[in-house]
Amino acid sequence: MTRTSGTIRVDGVDLSFPVRGGGRLPVLDAMSLEVADGGIVALIGPNGCGKSTLLRAIAGLLEPDRGTITLDGAPITGPDPRIGLVFQEPRLLPWRSAADNITYPLELAGWSPERRATRLAELADLVALDPGVTGNRPAELSGGTRQRVALARALALEPEVLLLDEPFSALDALSRERFDLELLRLWERAATTIVFVTHSIAEAIFVADRIVVISPRPGCVVADLPVELARPRSLDDLDAAVVSSTARDVRRHLGDTAAAA
Amino acid sequence: MSRSVLVSVAAALVVFVLIWQAVVVISGFPPFILPPPAQVVTRLLTAWSAGIIQPHLWATLVEVALGFAVGAGSAVLVGYALARSALVERLVSPYLVAAQATPILALAPLIALWFGPGLVGKVLICSLIVFFPVAIATMVGIRAVDARLLELGRSLRATRRQILLTLEIPAALPSILGGMRVGVTLAVVGAIVGEWAGAERGLGVLINLARGSLFDIPLMFATLLTIALVGIALYLVVVLVERRLVGAR
Repeated sequence: MTRTSGTIRVDGVDLSFPVRGGGRLPVLDAMSLEVADGGIVALIGPNGCGKSTLLRAIAGLLEPDRGTITLDGAPITGPDPRIGLVFQEPRLLPWRSAADNITYPLELAGWSPERRATRLAELADLVALDPGVTGNRPAELSGGTRQRVALARALALEPEVLLLDEPFSALDALSRERFDLELLRLWERAATTIVFVTHSIAEAIFVADRIVVISPRPGCVVADLPVELARPRSLDDLDAAVVSSTARDVRRHLGDTAAAA
Repeated sequence: MSRSVLVSVAAALVVFVLIWQAVVVISGFPPFILPPPAQVVTRLLTAWSAGIIQPHLWATLVEVALGFAVGAGSAVLVGYALARSALVERLVSPYLVAAQATPILALAPLIALWFGPGLVGKVLICSLIVFFPVAIATMVGIRAVDARLLELGRSLRATRRQILLTLEIPAALPSILGGMRVGVTLAVVGAIVGEWAGAERGLGVLINLARGSLFDIPLMFATLLTIALVGIALYLVVVLVERRLVGAR
């Protein structure tokens, strides 16, 4: 598989939502962030701090009030095929089979059935999807398999950037660790730039190169912490001393932001 | 259909027939008021073998099929517009509700006057009666489409047409088909009402003939039974289409 990745730059982004009764609720305030080509950055912060909003803005689903978001230097002005998005919940179309959900973006992009079938086989292999379930509807799949399908769908068009919004939060702790590990294997193969939102400090440390701590709403970056953990990583690395010290740093910054709020 | 379901349906039918027979026996009504079930079934079979029912049945079926197609088809379009445009809803809703509140029995003679006793008037009456439940079901179904799925479509750069065809309609299909279940049985009512208002052929005409000049009450009941069977059959067709299209989600 060819390595395709891009650099995301968020520069001074303000974003607000209209509220009932007039006025606007500021959600992001002068947010600035850069995610280098092929890097993995975890966004962590309290509930409602704007992490998911930032992800949607990067995905081109929300337009900032001020500031710019660029991919490889070009402004993002709307949904872009170079960016794949995995939502917190799988958002599978219940009337389609797992295979048809995975190839849905390809169908929208006008790919022929033959090309879609070839790409489906690659994607199923990439996300380790059991070939026996590709004909099943989402209601017949386990939570983990549904998230695999959602991940495969997000990777269908070989995006340069993969945005993940707490993708494994609904899974149990053991499954979540296994999925984190699989995400790293997938990243090594597909080599996309990854920005992912999480509430788990351990998950952020295990997966990311950098952890960006975001303040309570309106969200802005309060800390950008490197993770000094060698790659490739295994679950045993979670016991390393550097994990504890990084976790302490993240907690301290999260605590500071909570105290400030 | 599973064996247990078939047994339940057969048992319900037996109970219905037994109650009917019991009412006949206990009340002592003569056959020209309430014929017993056996006499109605016998009359249905003799009328069918004599070719009395078929031309009327065919006429009604054509009216129902065309009326349902026109009514449900236009209702889906209007229902979608009602769901997605506040302006359309404000402009169209009062007329929709007014049309629904006006009894079709009151409108039928007027439509027969304007369009004559031919097919067009019957199709129009059927369409009118089918329109409201299907339009409302479509509006409700489209409005209930999960906004998160629409966001998914946008994130995948789906065009307006792709969102309509691959997200909104499939998501709203259970609701739309629910409206069609109601609509298809009402279409039969519309056809009969239209035939009463003026027609040369149709099951509604046959009822009038059986009750009036022929004074053949068992034939009238046999026609009513035929109408009920048509309603059930059409309802089952929609249910089968629904199972095929919606299936297990």
